[in-house]
Amino acid sequence: MEKIKTAVIGAGFISRIHLDAWKRLPNVEVKAIVDVEEERAKKYAEMFGIPEFFTDYTKVIEDPEIDIIDVCTPTYTHAKISIDAMKSGKNVLLEKPIALKLRDADEIINTSKKQGVKFMVAHCLRFWPEYTVTKKIVDQGEIGEVRVARAYRLSPYPDWSWKSWLKDFSKSGGVFVDMSIHDVDFLRWIIGEVEEVYARGGVLKTKDATSYDYVHALLKFKNGAIAYVEGSWIQPKNFPFTTYLEIVGTGGALKVDNHTTSSVIVYKEGSCATDSNPISEDAYYLEIKHFVDSVVKDYEPMISGLEARKTLEVVLAGVKSMMENKPVRLPLSGEVIG
Amino acid sequence: MRKIRFGIISFAHIHAWSYARVIKELENAELVAIYDDDPQRLKQAAEKYGVKDVYNNYEDLLKRDDIDAVIITSENAKHPPQAISSAEHGKHMIVEKPIAVDLKDADEMVRAANRYNVKFQTAFVMRYHDATSTVKKLLDNKEIGEILVVTTTNHGKYPGLWFGVPELSGGGSMIDHTVHTADLMRWYTGDEVEEVYAVIGKNIRKELSVEDTGLISLKFKRGVIGSIDCSWSRPSTWPIWGDVWLAIFGTEGYIVIDAFRPNIDLVKEGKPLRWEYFGSDADRNMIKDFIRVIEEDATPRATGWDGRQALEITLAAYRSAKSGEVVKLPL
Repeated sequence: MEKIKTAVIGAGFISRIHLDAWKRLPNVEVKAIVDVEEERAKKYAEMFGIPEFFTDYTKVIEDPEIDIIDVCTPTYTHAKISIDAMKSGKNVLLEKPIALKLRDADEIINTSKKQGVKFMVAHCLRFWPEYTVTKKIVDQGEIGEVRVARAYRLSPYPDWSWKSWLKDFSKSGGVFVDMSIHDVDFLRWIIGEVEEVYARGGVLKTKDATSYDYVHALLKFKNGAIAYVEGSWIQPKNFPFTTYLEIVGTGGALKVDNHTTSSVIVYKEGSCATDSNPISEDAYYLEIKHFVDSVVKDYEPMISGLEARKTLEVVLAGVKSMMENKPVRLPLSGEVIG
Repeated sequence: MRKIRFGIISFAHIHAWSYARVIKELENAELVAIYDDDPQRLKQAAEKYGVKDVYNNYEDLLKRDDIDAVIITSENAKHPPQAISSAEHGKHMIVEKPIAVDLKDADEMVRAANRYNVKFQTAFVMRYHDATSTVKKLLDNKEIGEILVVTTTNHGKYPGLWFGVPELSGGGSMIDHTVHTADLMRWYTGDEVEEVYAVIGKNIRKELSVEDTGLISLKFKRGVIGSIDCSWSRPSTWPIWGDVWLAIFGTEGYIVIDAFRPNIDLVKEGKPLRWEYFGSDADRNMIKDFIRVIEEDATPRATGWDGRQALEITLAAYRSAKSGEVVKLPL
């Protein structure tokens, strides 16, 4: 069987996680890695045994052998790179958020349709086991109709970002757009469409940033359910990344967090305990496999551009609400960032 | 040693039973008389706590000279006349939260306590839980720097009884479950709330005429951000009645309080998992401290005014949920 050939653009945080998953897929060859900084591209090429590395992404989108482009670059570059890749006929897997502007999202979606390429936004929660099991429980009606949900995601400041782009509001949109988008997307997936958003937050701790580092939002869904979503980048430096989800319906309730459900806890001299739930076919493996299969078997991948755009609209409404200090109804009438 | 002689005005609120238990346990307290407007409940409480002097008219109980203090644990809406009369009769009092369902009533209660010079403590038991008071010290010592955000939940099962009858309760889960953590936020920040936004969702229990879901976002005058998840969202088979949970985000750290988490997993054949609590006895701490306040002529840790302020936050949340707008305080 001929292998699917892929190129990954961006050699940063998420790209490393994706590469680890790409390398576990037997029917795939990662042919090239691209980064604007040669050293970074070279480092990942060596680390993952990738034959080619470039600083110019046009090199890979013009390579006729490549089937899939995995765009793992900072959010503010998503539109241009994905659109260029699609115009070269490449199938595109794009890291979340789809974009920072709704018109960019629209252009990406339109291009993917026009070019007839496969396109998926990597909202990885839809592949994480606790979230897929939750989805199944809810869909099977085991807790009745969803009425109230609570989700939070807490992290120290992500100071690893390339040239600190996450600190720049105009490049990342801040914690709600970059991180809480996971929970918002998941809640949309299981509850339905959001009608109104109220959010409160600010640049509370990270004084050299323009990105909001703490936000909480109250969501009202069209079906009458409500949800609390909280995102924090103001945790202490040694704080373990923490997620929590609670859903209550007319027939029951469920809750899950990532610390009390760990299967492995490691304690080392002089450092905090780290816990994890290792699974060989993990969320990233399943996500990338799903996209590869959509190309090989020719089906529509599960997280369409439109889905990602709807999620983006909710988080942007949150940012708008926070800036104006009033509830914001959907749909949005204009852009919020930039 | 002189004992503080207590009367309990109504066993309508479930907390009354625990307070009676504590008074019976304490060496320097005595449960002298009880009142209830429900004859069967009065009889039941009298038998359970071995109280001989029972009343179906609270004025008669309050007229007695040998009672120092009362605990008012009637339905929320019945507190004001009982509290005002208690003050007029010179009785120190603990009033169950929310102290009233209306701000005007709350103000009159506070005024009456001042005028007749009696101690007025709001039953904000959470200020007396050893987890929250330990954290108060940590915060005052600036162990996590300055407070930036306080996220809280007070989830519970639907308590039943009169809690779903708006004429008696003043509302649903929001009035029942906002004040505890709102009060803790006020206590920790030493600040007052400036604005509130709240949403109420579709009910979990369709048969209720009051809300059973609610989410509140608030801001304090000096900028601290807060949230309250105040739903009756726990199914009847949940292993414990509910929770009081707070996460405090500081400039130099983060603290989580899960006050009712110390539990033993207990599973009986054919029954759902049950959590047997072994944590701090906040009710006991609260009544012990009330006795100290009376003996030392001190100020309660949670005063009637604190009760009034927390009520105002709750009422602002209702106003916001109804109008769909951010509500500024004072109302």
